[in-house]
Amino acid sequence: MKFGTVLFKYASRSLTRHTRRTAISMTGVGVGCAMALIALSWMNGAFEMQVRAVAESGSGHLMIVHRDWPAMRENTLRLTDWEETLAAIRTTPGVRACTARARANGLLAFGNRSSGVQVMALLPEHESEVNRVVSRSRIEGRYLNEEDPGAVVIGKGLAKRLNVELDDDLYVTLPGTDDIHSAMLRIVGVLDTGSQDLDLTICHMTLANLESITGIPGAGEITMLLKDHNDINTVKERLETKMPGNNLVITWKTVLPALASGMQGDKALMRLLTAIVITVVALGIMSAQLTAVLERRAEFAILSALGMKSGQITRIILVESLIIGLGGALIALLVGGSAAWYLASTGINLLYFNADALGPSNILLDPRIYGSFGPWLIGYAAAISITATVAASLYPAWKAAQIDPADALRTQ
Amino acid sequence: MAVTITDETLVHAKDVTKVYQTGEVETYALRGIDMEVKAGDFMAIVGPSGSGKTTLLNLIGALDAVTGGSLEVLGKDISKMSRRQRADLRLHALGFVFQAYNLFPVLTAQENVEFVLELQGVNNNRSGRAREVLDRLGLLEYANRRPTQMSGGQQQRVAVARAVASQPRLVLADEPTANLDGENARILLDMMRDLNENQGTTFIFSTHDPRVVAYARRVVTLVDGKVAKDVVKENDTDGGV
Repeated sequence: MKFGTVLFKYASRSLTRHTRRTAISMTGVGVGCAMALIALSWMNGAFEMQVRAVAESGSGHLMIVHRDWPAMRENTLRLTDWEETLAAIRTTPGVRACTARARANGLLAFGNRSSGVQVMALLPEHESEVNRVVSRSRIEGRYLNEEDPGAVVIGKGLAKRLNVELDDDLYVTLPGTDDIHSAMLRIVGVLDTGSQDLDLTICHMTLANLESITGIPGAGEITMLLKDHNDINTVKERLETKMPGNNLVITWKTVLPALASGMQGDKALMRLLTAIVITVVALGIMSAQLTAVLERRAEFAILSALGMKSGQITRIILVESLIIGLGGALIALLVGGSAAWYLASTGINLLYFNADALGPSNILLDPRIYGSFGPWLIGYAAAISITATVAASLYPAWKAAQIDPADALRTQ
Repeated sequence: MAVTITDETLVHAKDVTKVYQTGEVETYALRGIDMEVKAGDFMAIVGPSGSGKTTLLNLIGALDAVTGGSLEVLGKDISKMSRRQRADLRLHALGFVFQAYNLFPVLTAQENVEFVLELQGVNNNRSGRAREVLDRLGLLEYANRRPTQMSGGQQQRVAVARAVASQPRLVLADEPTANLDGENARILLDMMRDLNENQGTTFIFSTHDPRVVAYARRVVTLVDGKVAKDVVKENDTDGGV
């Protein structure tokens, strides 16, 4: 049916017979779709920020680990030629920053107090480029230097638990290849992330320091941040061709599978709720359109008597729905777009709900979450609104096409 | 002017029956109709309420299917036609005028006429042709009016314009004057009679209106679903409405 034809005029003007009903239908579609847009804006924005928070809280977007690490999660595994690999990653397109690390599970003790920790040995000159726990936290004292033998930086919560302060000496016990090794470390800095839970886990020393204590040389992981997290698979493929020996490229989802599936679950739940809202709206539209069809039963009989085919009658109803859908999309853009813009520009302060700002798996979340806003909203508003209304009108349209003209005229 | 009734048979009904089934109850609307309608006829089907006038008209108009017997319209057995084929027959060969006018309220008079032309796939100067039909029937001044802006008589004349816009062979009019006063009924019947005489359009009316009967050249009377009388008037009159 072409725009400007009499058939189109008939379909479009039919919506003016009950302007209030048409306006209510459009508003219903618009508000339902606006809710969907708000949910999508929030979901997309929050997901993106969560991925960034995850990546910048230690795991990076991508990580190079020993081939056996995903299955064993063993901290003593070391990379092949880690320095060359790190240098190669730095020149890989799409990589924003990278650094190497090693981890070891050990025990810190001071006087009669002790605490189990995961020591993170790192390259101090690069760590702050990839780790917001370092770059965003307040520090008492100083952070580690490139050459800093015997120095350690711990979290404020851990310092409190061990009852230590700056310049105190801690006794550390760490496993080596075949034996347990111990050393004295001087506290040169105390990090305050703002999260008590996270502060209890922080224990940083230089990579060289860990090597000298445990006797295990090399780095166990290389972490990198990408310029755009959407390029994760492209960069991963690029890096896979450069990996020597036992080195393996994995994504943050492999590092934190529970968190990744939790985020997917959140997304699925949000989509389900959105689908429920749209379904309820669609059922409302179906009811309104069915009423409109039954009211115009005699008119459809006349259309049929004049020689109109079932398919053409169906198209009339679908065009009417399409116009309702377009009107709904405009309302959705107005309402949902404004709300999405607010979410994107002002955001929601998470500290209002969670004073700790700590996400699952020790992720240091941004205190304010922003929604997503962009031209995609137009496409989504049109797609959701039009699809919902047209789909909801299929049954009324079919019903209209099935009207028996003789019967409808007899009972007119 | 006397119209020429040719030998061409437009409608051939043979032992046509129509039964409506409501639950287990069967209602006989037509009980064996035998009838022929020739091209150029100007015919009224009369009879008391429930005699089967509208049912017969609906069958001839391919709006409904016969229960028994055979009914050929323009040489096609409608009982053997699909829903789509019957729609095609209505679109290209038949015109309808209804008691309640049944113009589309959201369209103007011109658009109501143009609508049929568009359905027929006429692409060339559709609105011009619609205006031409309205002009020919003296309705051009109503071209841009919607049905709610016209009187009943005006609406029914536009309905006739819509029915004849596609130049159908046969126009079926169900109680066309039932809602019209004497003057409007006369104008309408004159108009249809003119179309019959000058364009050769065949008309079949179902009616109990004596004004229509007076205009008709042939009157078929139905009683209890059967043809009780089929009278062709010897001396045609102007109707005397």
